[in-house]
Amino acid sequence: MTPGPVAASASRLPVAGNAVVRRAARDLLRRDRRAVVLAVVLHAAAAVAGLGAPWLLGMIVDEVTAGAGAGRLDRLALGIVGCVVAQGLLSRYAQYVGHRFGERAVARLREEFVRRTLALPVSVVERAGTGDLATRSSVDVNLVGTTVRDAVPVVVISTAKLMLLFGAVCLLHPILGLVALAGLPSIFVVARWYLRRARDAYLFEGAAAAELTETLTSTAEGARTIEALHLADQRIAHGTGRIARLWAARRATLRLRSVVFAVAGASYALPVAAVLLVGGPLLDRDVVSLGEVVAAALYLQQAIDPLDALLMWTEQTQRGMASFARVLGVGLVPPEPRGGAGVPSGRGVTLRGVRFGYGDGPDVLHGIDLEIRPGERLAVVGPSGAGKSTLARLIAGIDRPRSGVVLLGGRPVTDLDPAQRRREVVLVTQEHHVFMGTLRDNLAFAAPEATDEQMRAALVAVGADWYADLPHGLDTELGDGARELNPADAQQLALARIVLADPHTLILDEATAALDPTTARRTERALGAVLAGRTVIAIAHRLNTAHDADRVAVLDDGRITELGSHAELLAAGGAYAALWRSWHG
Amino acid sequence: MPPQIPHPDPGTPDTRGPLRYIWWLARSQPWRVLRGSLLGTAWMAGLALRPYLIAKAVDDGLRARDQRALLFWGLAIVVAGVVQAWLGVLRHRTTNFIREDATARSAAVLLRHLSRVGAVLSRKLAAGEVATVGGADIGNTSYVLTITGPGVGAVVAYALVAVVLWTISPLLALCILLGVPLIVAVMGPMLRRLDRVETVYRHRLGLLTARAGDIVAGLRVLAGVGGRGLFARRYADRSRELLAEGYRVGAVSSWIRALTHALPGLFLAVVVWLAARMAADGDITVGQLVAVYGYVAVLAVPVWFLLDGSYQLIRGRVAARRIVALLNLAPDDVGDSDHAAVPAPPHPAELRDPVTGLTVPPGRMFGVAATDPAEATALADRLGRYVVSEATWGGQRLTGMPLAEVRSRILVADHDAYLFAGTLRDVLRIRDDLNDGALRAAVRTASADDVVEALPDGFDTELDNRARRLSGGQRQRVRLARALLAEPEVLILLDPTSAVDAHTEARIAERLRAARAGRTTLLLSTSPLLLGYADTVAYLAGGRVVATGTHAELLEREPGYRALVARDGGAPAPDAGDVATTRGPGEVEEVLR
Repeated sequence: MTPGPVAASASRLPVAGNAVVRRAARDLLRRDRRAVVLAVVLHAAAAVAGLGAPWLLGMIVDEVTAGAGAGRLDRLALGIVGCVVAQGLLSRYAQYVGHRFGERAVARLREEFVRRTLALPVSVVERAGTGDLATRSSVDVNLVGTTVRDAVPVVVISTAKLMLLFGAVCLLHPILGLVALAGLPSIFVVARWYLRRARDAYLFEGAAAAELTETLTSTAEGARTIEALHLADQRIAHGTGRIARLWAARRATLRLRSVVFAVAGASYALPVAAVLLVGGPLLDRDVVSLGEVVAAALYLQQAIDPLDALLMWTEQTQRGMASFARVLGVGLVPPEPRGGAGVPSGRGVTLRGVRFGYGDGPDVLHGIDLEIRPGERLAVVGPSGAGKSTLARLIAGIDRPRSGVVLLGGRPVTDLDPAQRRREVVLVTQEHHVFMGTLRDNLAFAAPEATDEQMRAALVAVGADWYADLPHGLDTELGDGARELNPADAQQLALARIVLADPHTLILDEATAALDPTTARRTERALGAVLAGRTVIAIAHRLNTAHDADRVAVLDDGRITELGSHAELLAAGGAYAALWRSWHG
Repeated sequence: MPPQIPHPDPGTPDTRGPLRYIWWLARSQPWRVLRGSLLGTAWMAGLALRPYLIAKAVDDGLRARDQRALLFWGLAIVVAGVVQAWLGVLRHRTTNFIREDATARSAAVLLRHLSRVGAVLSRKLAAGEVATVGGADIGNTSYVLTITGPGVGAVVAYALVAVVLWTISPLLALCILLGVPLIVAVMGPMLRRLDRVETVYRHRLGLLTARAGDIVAGLRVLAGVGGRGLFARRYADRSRELLAEGYRVGAVSSWIRALTHALPGLFLAVVVWLAARMAADGDITVGQLVAVYGYVAVLAVPVWFLLDGSYQLIRGRVAARRIVALLNLAPDDVGDSDHAAVPAPPHPAELRDPVTGLTVPPGRMFGVAATDPAEATALADRLGRYVVSEATWGGQRLTGMPLAEVRSRILVADHDAYLFAGTLRDVLRIRDDLNDGALRAAVRTASADDVVEALPDGFDTELDNRARRLSGGQRQRVRLARALLAEPEVLILLDPTSAVDAHTEARIAERLRAARAGRTTLLLSTSPLLLGYADTVAYLAGGRVVATGTHAELLEREPGYRALVARDGGAPAPDAGDVATTRGPGEVEEVLR
């Protein structure tokens, strides 16, 4: 009953290193090169058009000072209008192209992630726990999405704008350009300070917010239990603690922002003031014109927006990169080995001197020897923690014994090709899962070539008569958010899959234990159809299963203590006989 | 000043409507809101100061070739920059404080309501509803309060710029007064359209994320029977659909981003044009021309805040509506609880259920074997007073008694009772006066010692919600231990051992009997091991008690009972009971063949 990985130390899924992340990022750009180039060109063109307005205004100032006529001013003003319109249109299409590129990149990324996830060996998934993988599939994939779509363009555009603006000031006059850099050192220093701390602070804030949401959700879900056990005050105290944690996390990020806004905000005025102050003497020496100084001041005023944006979005980009590394990490796990032991000859299962333990833990099984004939029905009984589920996993080839060997048709079961192995032996546990998708999808993955007729026949064979009531038959959408199946129906669905997959050996690990007694009864009746003509190893939960088996193996503390038919064991008068009598009343 | 969070008392929310609720959040912190408005205004007004100072530096310093004036105005720009940055930080902090106060207050009132409203919630709430409220709606509602700071400031700054321009030229001021509402009018519908397509996109994205999570959750099943390619393809199909939806969002959002800059820019160009001609005519100075450019350029910020504010208001109202709906959920009617007509019996007393004709004597271990599990659940609901019924306790109607006392003396332990996240110790410590010794005793009674041992840190191991890292049987024993720790006078256990193996079940039955000696324990189960330990067992068929006696007596006398329990797990459904009576032990398992 105890799935071993609970106690085993969690070995985490890998996270990609910087080199892998950089290569993957380059790949994303390279695979959509045309869109990337187009977006960059459009953005650059838009930024150049954006420089037009202050430049033309500078010219207007000079013209007005020189006493030019209305016609000349009208043309210049019309030029400004033209610049604004051009900038608007260019920027719109640049954003659109960029957005489409981002969406495509994200779609490729998430599809690749799912493909990689599906290729993970099941033992890796179990060791790492599905929680980590679930977080990567939701939080990380989506964060990479918003980063690629929103943050990266802003960072790229802002950087480009800043370079253009400062470049433009330099063009007006190199000395002005040099002076314009006045405010940047302090901004650079505070940005470094901020970015070093921001990532952890925002991650903590996100986690604290998720915890509060989870507390509210579970409080609602467990409302009846709260009422029954008087847990309201405890829940309120617990939730209040979560509120306090979120507030602490928010204050921490606010503190960071307070510092960075104060320093950066104060720095923005420096280049403008510096250009004006230096502009005076330069103007005196006729090195620059008044219009040039005015234009430079206005350019630097325009630099505030991209600087602000750069400061804020760089942090999100950093977090996005961290998520990207976690998403890519899944691809670093070597896929399930192909196996090369060839095709098993025969259907017998043999265990010789099998020892096994999880992780670095002690042995759970201490030398199991067992021979199961084709078509035999073997029941395995024993107290919780005796190693029954572990035995089932070894026979199914999920885990490799520490020593000894598990043979299927004379071949080590873990060396068989996974696809081949699945055709031979299937482990049925109390864990059943209805996938989001149609009823057909939920069956077809077990046997892709199955016809609709075969699917219906499989459903009938396991007693899943409910399928006839579904509004769209095999095309009815099932799973989360669509039609939810109750546990019994879900277990029947799982059994129908096995009928379609048609393995010759079945291992039942308390397949009905999580069901209520009535449902369990219905399901066990359905099992009858599935078991016919197969070798069955049943981890018994109710002794009636043992009573009916050809042989019963009593497992205690990782050893087989009794082995024989029900009648033999009763006659032997051991632990099994005692239990049978107490249960039998 | 930073708010006191968590609030000792979050107050009573105004739940008459979403806007009233938002207004309640604002008036719960009047001084902070006032401070936010003042700072928002000062900061926004300060934005207009720099163009003024630049204009002065240009006119009085550069143009006049006056180095002292230039130095003065240049330094003024630096000082104004520092003051502006300081104001900006104060404004940002106050706005955050206002929003966080609102967030914490919403969370606190929701938490209190959800904790106290009781069993009704599980029935009336769709899955994920509270998650949406907690994850997004609370935040979106709080965000509306941003209007009180920069929103007010934006309106004031806008008026201020108009006034300053008026002193330069009434015509230019008029341009501003008409132009800004025009921009808001053009952008408003676009923002709403963006909100619509984004809502669709987020919904689809949520579904796709759920699909990925679904695949992750089902990985072990896929590993068992194969078929990974099919799921990769299905996911890719949906991913492409989302891609198309994403393009749609991009089409709108790219226009909005471009127009937010282009419209004010266009507006600016027109104003500058007018101003340039005025300057050429000598109506205004060149410095004033530059200032006009600056003022109007600065208007982009208040315009942005106005647009953002209207967008937040639209979204926040929808969010607040969901919060209010949740807060307006009323508890189930289980009879009058405040003005109890009858007192509860002072001593342990007999429980009676007229619907089934069941009588549970006090102080004994009593079993009920029901042919239909739904009947057992309904019976527990009546005896535990989760519904209005004619059930009596000590001869008086249970429904008329004080609810709090009924809840503390009679405990219905559901087989799917919720396990909250926390350490195992937190899960079990339902009262503060329970020490580890008491926990260990209960764990032992529930035969859950091995569960504690298997956990890496024993009682200190962190469990997630529903204790998902435990197996079904482990969870069931933890639930049983928790129910025992409540030490109720009457303990009603629903299927407490259905997921536990026979060895363990036998142990639990024995220990349970000893632990509950002298108190009333009602076992609703069909397990022979459990029923064998009951003093008396009632056989419930067709909604009525048809036989009462010891387990052994009933096995002997009642064929239907024998069919129901003796072959637990393997017996045919009760409607086939009469067929089963003709079979010997073991024959019914033929269905397994």
